Amino acid sequence: VCPAGPGGVAVPRAGLKKLALPPDYSGITFPEKPKLKFMDKVPAVPKVQREPRRLRDIRGPSQVATDFIQGQYGILALGGGYLHWGHFEMIRLSIGRSIDPKSMFAVWRVPAPCKSVTRKSLGHRMGGGKGPVDRYVTAVKSGRLVVEVGGRCEFGEVRPFLARVAQKLPFPAVPVSRESLREMRREEEEKRLDNQNPWTFERVVASNMLGMRKYLSPYDLQLKGRYWGKFFLKHRV
Amino acid sequence: AVAAKMAALGGGGARWRRAWLPGLQLLRRGSKAVTRHWKAMSFQRQKLLAVTEYVPPRPAVPPRCLPRPTGQGREEDGHARVLRRQVEETLRSSRMVAVCQYNSVPAEEAVTLRHYLRKHGIHVKFVLNEVVRPVLARSKYRNLLPLFVCRNVLLVSPETRAREMLRVLKRVPQVNLLGACIDDTILSRQGVENFARLPPLEVSQGQTVAALSLLSSQTSSLLQRGPAHLTALLDEHIRRLREAAGPTEPAPGQSTGNQ
Repeated sequence: VCPAGPGGVAVPRAGLKKLALPPDYSGITFPEKPKLKFMDKVPAVPKVQREPRRLRDIRGPSQVATDFIQGQYGILALGGGYLHWGHFEMIRLSIGRSIDPKSMFAVWRVPAPCKSVTRKSLGHRMGGGKGPVDRYVTAVKSGRLVVEVGGRCEFGEVRPFLARVAQKLPFPAVPVSRESLREMRREEEEKRLDNQNPWTFERVVASNMLGMRKYLSPYDLQLKGRYWGKFFLKHRV
Repeated sequence: AVAAKMAALGGGGARWRRAWLPGLQLLRRGSKAVTRHWKAMSFQRQKLLAVTEYVPPRPAVPPRCLPRPTGQGREEDGHARVLRRQVEETLRSSRMVAVCQYNSVPAEEAVTLRHYLRKHGIHVKFVLNEVVRPVLARSKYRNLLPLFVCRNVLLVSPETRAREMLRVLKRVPQVNLLGACIDDTILSRQGVENFARLPPLEVSQGQTVAALSLLSSQTSSLLQRGPAHLTALLDEHIRRLREAAGPTEPAPGQSTGNQ
């Protein structure tokens, strides 16, 4: 910052260097294998019975894997979607390329693909039964962590490659750290508390004002207007 | 498919019924709840979302009208504290403190400058303004505060050798003297030059002593002024008489008679 001196000429000034203490990595436990495990395309016991679509495993907020376990940084999903083997390989290889196994580690927070998804062959008319199993996928809901990275590293080092991975996922995702996640949650809570609008979605739906429940789904009681299908509406309170 | 439809309608008979149950029929057309694309919302739902948007709080006084938040509450930097203590120590132990503006000097010139000043017992100290300002504000050098803008260097010395300092600084055009505080007296650049032109302390002391003792030294000559004047007059008279008696050969009795 160059404050303007007399005559409007910028006077460059160098202040005292603020020497920060190096970060403390004492409380970190490394897992046995620092790199990400290989995920199978098909589970060891492939399912014979084809399962129904059950898209409700994409809808709404996630109840599992919402907080950090081992690592300090991770990728947070901000929408619902299915991850298949291609995504898993992309994540595994990109992160394996970018981390240093001696000082950093990465951990999966999603299970291997276990849900079978069918597809009918192209160019045929409707009918003739359910198609054969095409691939296996994992369902991910919004607010779930996909991978966790930790070790002797800073967020600034980790963020670039996590952002690249997050961009390639089928749902919107962001790299987060423990502090940034806490900050996000705190801000959400603050927004909820200091909202000056007396009419909230939750209130309208719970008391069925103006008969709005006719136009809304019964799931909107829990989703509270923040979710629409698989999408997470970040700007809604 | 027709049989299924008839069974769903719950109607009997061979003919079609125009009426239909909205529960099942609406499920047949349209997409499911969770879609890959952004599913179109009904207008009532859009209205509800528009009404229940987030409204941020508006304080009575906008924050841009309030005074800027100062950097209060920031924890003290240990390094800054150490530097401040060093500056205080330097100011306390030195009689002469000169503040100079420092423009970039080549490295070897800086070393030479430091060497020459050190020969006269003047120490060169680089100080940061943000470290020095609180120290000066609390000490008696409050009026030197306006000098501490831009890059500056302090020349401190336990003895006051302004003349040598000015001579050394004249060789280096990049270091300009702004002001000095010598023996608790704040001097500008002119003042320092005048101070340098003053004679050294012993000489001025001797001059003061001489000036003070001038009157007392004059007392003896004052007392002797009367008889000295008389002696001078008599000598003059004798001289004149000698000159007068020289050509006319006066009698020795006349000279004694005139006395």
